[in-house]
Amino acid sequence: MSYREYVIAAYAVFVVVLLWDFAAPRLQVRAALRAARLRVSRIATREPPAELRR
Amino acid sequence: MNSPVLDRLIRWFHQLGSPPTFDRFAARWAPWAYVLGLLTMAVGLYGALFQVPADYQQGDSFRILYIHVPSAWMSMAIFALMAFYAAIGLVWRIKLCEILAMSCAPIGAAFTLITLATGSIWGKPMWGTWWEWDPRLTTELILLFLYLGVMGLYAAIDDRRNAARAAGFLAIVGVALLPVIRWSVVWWNSLHQGQTIRMFGESSMDASMLAPLAWMVVGTHLWFVGSLLTRARADNLVRESGKDWVARLVEARR
Repeated sequence: MSYREYVIAAYAVFVVVLLWDFAAPRLQVRAALRAARLRVSRIATREPPAELRR
Repeated sequence: MNSPVLDRLIRWFHQLGSPPTFDRFAARWAPWAYVLGLLTMAVGLYGALFQVPADYQQGDSFRILYIHVPSAWMSMAIFALMAFYAAIGLVWRIKLCEILAMSCAPIGAAFTLITLATGSIWGKPMWGTWWEWDPRLTTELILLFLYLGVMGLYAAIDDRRNAARAAGFLAIVGVALLPVIRWSVVWWNSLHQGQTIRMFGESSMDASMLAPLAWMVVGTHLWFVGSLLTRARADNLVRESGKDWVARLVEARR
């Protein structure tokens, strides 16, 4: 194959950028769900106000 | 009088604007779009690298075209779509359209980056230089800056809705660049070649070389759908993080 290095470099750029495009939003979704889960568990473990405990 | 099918379609469309409904829709269909996009691109890449004969002048370097051209088309199509969503978001204040518009920006920037980088890599052996301040290359670079501007503006303002409106306005104004990119090779003396592939009329490219390009064009569109749904889902979850439906969603996933 002629110009092999150039062809490989171009296709490598394509693959790397698409891999980033695949991974980045999945990490964002995971982080958003984790934050929501932590918020839910914080609310669940929060002690009720003193007047409600009496 | 509307038909029952049309009524259901309109109702579904309105329901899709609801954040929890969109979340379910995106979570369900994004993986399918990714898989279909990957399979379609795999067929296209196989044809581009192993089936199509080498060009009589450019040798094998012309194979870069199969990722460069679909990415260039995507870079412009995504910008137009981003502006379309932004306009709907600005006029009708539909939150989901704001989210979709802002989710278009990083994907469009990625395809613009691929276009510039692969063009540069092809340009070195063919033109003898990595970069030339040619009208087509320069306007495509401005497109990348516009994408980065939209992303930066959206990230710089704390209030998500105000941020989306400000960045959406930039996207709408930026649409003026698209015809300049498209006709830059006609309006100015350009080192970049003119239109090779025509949707209507005969292409300058041999028919035996067109099939992998068609696969790649379809594949990149499907990939875009997957990426758009996933990015929009992430933004939707962040914006709605304090809502009951998100709490129920994470409870159900435990």
